[in-house]
Amino acid sequence: MAEVKLNGISKSYDQGKTWIIKDVNLEIHNGEFVAFIGPSGCGKSTLLRMICGLEDITTGEMHIDGELINDHPPHERQVGMVFQSYALYPHMTVAENMAFGLKLARADKSIIKQRVDEAARMLQLEPLLERKPKAMSGGQRQRVAIGRSIVQEPRVFLFDEPLSNLDVALRVQMRQELSQLHRRLKTTSIYVTHDQVEAMTLANRIVVLSPLQPGAKTNLEQVGGPLELYHHPANLFVAGFIGSPKMNFLNAELQQPGEEWSTIKLTSGETLKVAANTSSSACGSQVIIGIRPEHVLLLPDKKQDQTEKDNTVIATVSTLERLGSESFIYLDHDSVREYLIVRVTGSGLQNENDKLGIHLPPKQCHLFSAEGLAFSRTHKPELNTCQS
Amino acid sequence: MAMVQPRNLKYRVWYARIALWLFLALILFPFLMIISVSFRSGNFATGSLIPENPSLEHWYLAFGIPWENPDGSVTEPFFPVLLWLWNSIKVAFFSSILVLMLSTTGAYAFARLRFKFREHMLTAMMILQMFPAVLALVAIYTLFDKIGDYIPWLGINSLGSVTIAYIGGIALHIWLIKGYFETIDNSLEEAAAIDGATPWQAFRYVLLPLSVPILAVVFILAFIASIGEYPVASILLHSMDKLTLAVGSQQYLNPQNYLWGDFAAAAILSGLPITIIFLACQRWIVGGLTSGGVKG
Ligand SMILES: Nc1ncnc2c1ncn2[C@@H]1O[C@H](COP(=O)(O)OP(=O)(O)OP(=O)(O)O)[C@@H](O)[C@H]1O
Ligand SMILES: [Mg+2]
Repeated sequence: MAEVKLNGISKSYDQGKTWIIKDVNLEIHNGEFVAFIGPSGCGKSTLLRMICGLEDITTGEMHIDGELINDHPPHERQVGMVFQSYALYPHMTVAENMAFGLKLARADKSIIKQRVDEAARMLQLEPLLERKPKAMSGGQRQRVAIGRSIVQEPRVFLFDEPLSNLDVALRVQMRQELSQLHRRLKTTSIYVTHDQVEAMTLANRIVVLSPLQPGAKTNLEQVGGPLELYHHPANLFVAGFIGSPKMNFLNAELQQPGEEWSTIKLTSGETLKVAANTSSSACGSQVIIGIRPEHVLLLPDKKQDQTEKDNTVIATVSTLERLGSESFIYLDHDSVREYLIVRVTGSGLQNENDKLGIHLPPKQCHLFSAEGLAFSRTHKPELNTCQS
Repeated sequence: MAMVQPRNLKYRVWYARIALWLFLALILFPFLMIISVSFRSGNFATGSLIPENPSLEHWYLAFGIPWENPDGSVTEPFFPVLLWLWNSIKVAFFSSILVLMLSTTGAYAFARLRFKFREHMLTAMMILQMFPAVLALVAIYTLFDKIGDYIPWLGINSLGSVTIAYIGGIALHIWLIKGYFETIDNSLEEAAAIDGATPWQAFRYVLLPLSVPILAVVFILAFIASIGEYPVASILLHSMDKLTLAVGSQQYLNPQNYLWGDFAAAAILSGLPITIIFLACQRWIVGGLTSGGVKG
C-alpha cells in the first residue's frame, strides 16, 4: 500500500532529441486503482516501466510513499508487475514461479508456503501448483503471473495490458476477478490498457495519454473518474478517445457567446443552441461542436418536413451497420469533420440515401474551441437518451 | 503427411537410400580402417579391412601391458599411453569448464548489456579468431616461458599452461551462446528483477537454467577441440610424462619406424573420453526448454 507521485516525468530515448513522454504530473493515492489509457504507441508501457524501474527516468521525480525512487533498481522498489506476455519462468512449476521472489528474499519456508497457498486459492490455481507454464492455458498463465506478484505483497501493483492476450469471454471473467481482487487487497494499482471498457469498469480514476504532438507541452490529456471523462472531456482528444463509437464533431462558428447558453452556426448554416459557457470567447470565433452517437435523436419520419424544430439538422444516410439490438447510421453532412454516426436501438429500418432529420439536444452537446479545449458545460447531462 | 506423392516415389526413395549408403561408407571407411590397423599384427598401414591374422598386440601395448610375441620375445610398452590419455582428459575437462564460464559471462554482456563499441568488439573477436592459432605459437611459447619464471605450474612443459592456452579460442562460443541468449525473452529477467532479483541472480536462476542446452553443446565442442589439439600442446609440452595423447601418439611415427598399429590404437583411445562426455551431456541437449514462458 502506497501512494505514487510523478513529478514532471519525461522520457526520451535519444538524449532529448525526441520525447516519448513529457511532463507528466500525477498523484496516485493509497489504495487507488488507476488506469492509463491511450492509443498504441503513446508511451503507456514506457511510463509503467519507469515506475517499476525497468526504464530510467530522463527528467522529473518519482516518489513512492514519499521516497524518491528515481535511482532505485527494480529489485529495491517493492512493486509487482504483471506483463502482457506473462513472463513466467518456463523452467519452474507454478508454485516455484510464485515463490521465486520470496525465496530470493530468504523468507521463511512456512511463510512462503502459506502465501503461495493463499494466492493459489484466491486465483483458483490450487490444482495446477505442480504444473509447468508450458502445460497451461493463457488465462491460467495470466493468473499465475498475477499470483506471482500477489505473494510478494508489493507496495504497488502494475499491470501492463494483462488481459489483451485472452479471448473475449475470459477477458470479461478476468476483469471481474481483478476487480474483486483489488477490493479485497486494496493495494494501489496502476493498470495500462487501450481497452476503454477495462479502464472504465476497473479504475477509480483514468489517466488519458496521447502520442506527443510536436510542440505540445505534455501528453497527459486528462485525469479523472470514468464518468467525468465521459461527460466532461477536457479537450477534443479525450472527447474523441473515450466512448465508442467516437464522438461526432461538427465545425461551427460562435454566433452568440453566453454564460449559460451559447448559440453557434454550423459551417453549413444551421443555428444550434448549446449548454456551454463561452463567455470568454469572441463572437465569430471558430468552434467545434461534439455530440456522442448515443445522444443524437432521430426525428420521426412524419415530422421531417415540418417547421424547423430547434437544434435540428437534415443529413443523408450513407451507410448502415445493423447489429441486431442496435444499429449505427452513418450520415453525410457538410459541416461534419469525419463522419456523423447516430446510434439507434433496434434494427435500423432506414435506407441508404434517405434524408433524415436529427436533433442535437442542447444539453448533450459539447463545445470545443479551435485549439481543442472544451468549454465548460452548464447543465447536467441527462442520462436516458436512447430511442428506437 | 497427407501430401499427395508422385507415383514413382518408391524408386526415388531407393535411389536416395543407395546414395546415402554410399556416402556413409565413404565417411566410415577411414574409421574402420583405423580399427582394422589397430588389430593387425605388425605395423602396416595397408592391408585388407578384416585383418588376416588379428592380434591384440597394439592394444596390450596401449594399455601398458607387455606383449609376448609368437616367437617368445617380449615387447615392452614404449610409451605411457594411459597417462597421456589421462593428461588429455584433465586438460580438456578443465579448459572446457573455464571456456564455458568465460564465454557464458561474455555472451551475457554482449546479449544483454549496452556499452560502447559492443558491435565492434563482436566483429573484432570474430576476425581475430579467423587467424589460425598456429600463427601465434611463438608468442604463446615466449609468454608461458616468461610466466613460468613466476608461476611454475603455468610454465613451459606444464599441463596448466596448455589448459590456459586453450581458453583463447572462445570467440566462436561467445557468438553461439549470445545467439541463444537473444532468443530468450528479456521480459523473463525483467520479471525476475521485479521479483527482487539482482542482475546476477536473474542471470543465475533464470537465464542460465534456460540455456543449459547451448551450454552443453559448447562444453562438448570445447572438449573435442582440446582433446584433438596438436600445435599448441606440441610446443608447450616436452617431457614424456606431460604429453597429451594427441602429441604423444605422434611419437609412434618417427621417420625411421612408423608404428601404425600402436598409433591407431592410441587414436581410437582418444575418441573414448569424447564419447563419454557426449553421452553424459546428451540429456541436457533438449528442445522446448523456454516454451510457455511468454506469449505475444
Ligand atoms: N527502446 C526504445 N527505443 C526507442 N524508442 C522506443 C523504445 N521503446 C519504446 N519506444 C517508443 O516509445 C513509444 C511508446 O512506446 P510504448 O511501448 O510505451 O507504447 P504503448 O503506449 O505501451 O503502446 P501499446 O499500446 O502498443 O503497448 C513508441 O513510439 C515506441 O516507438
Ligand atoms: Mg504497451
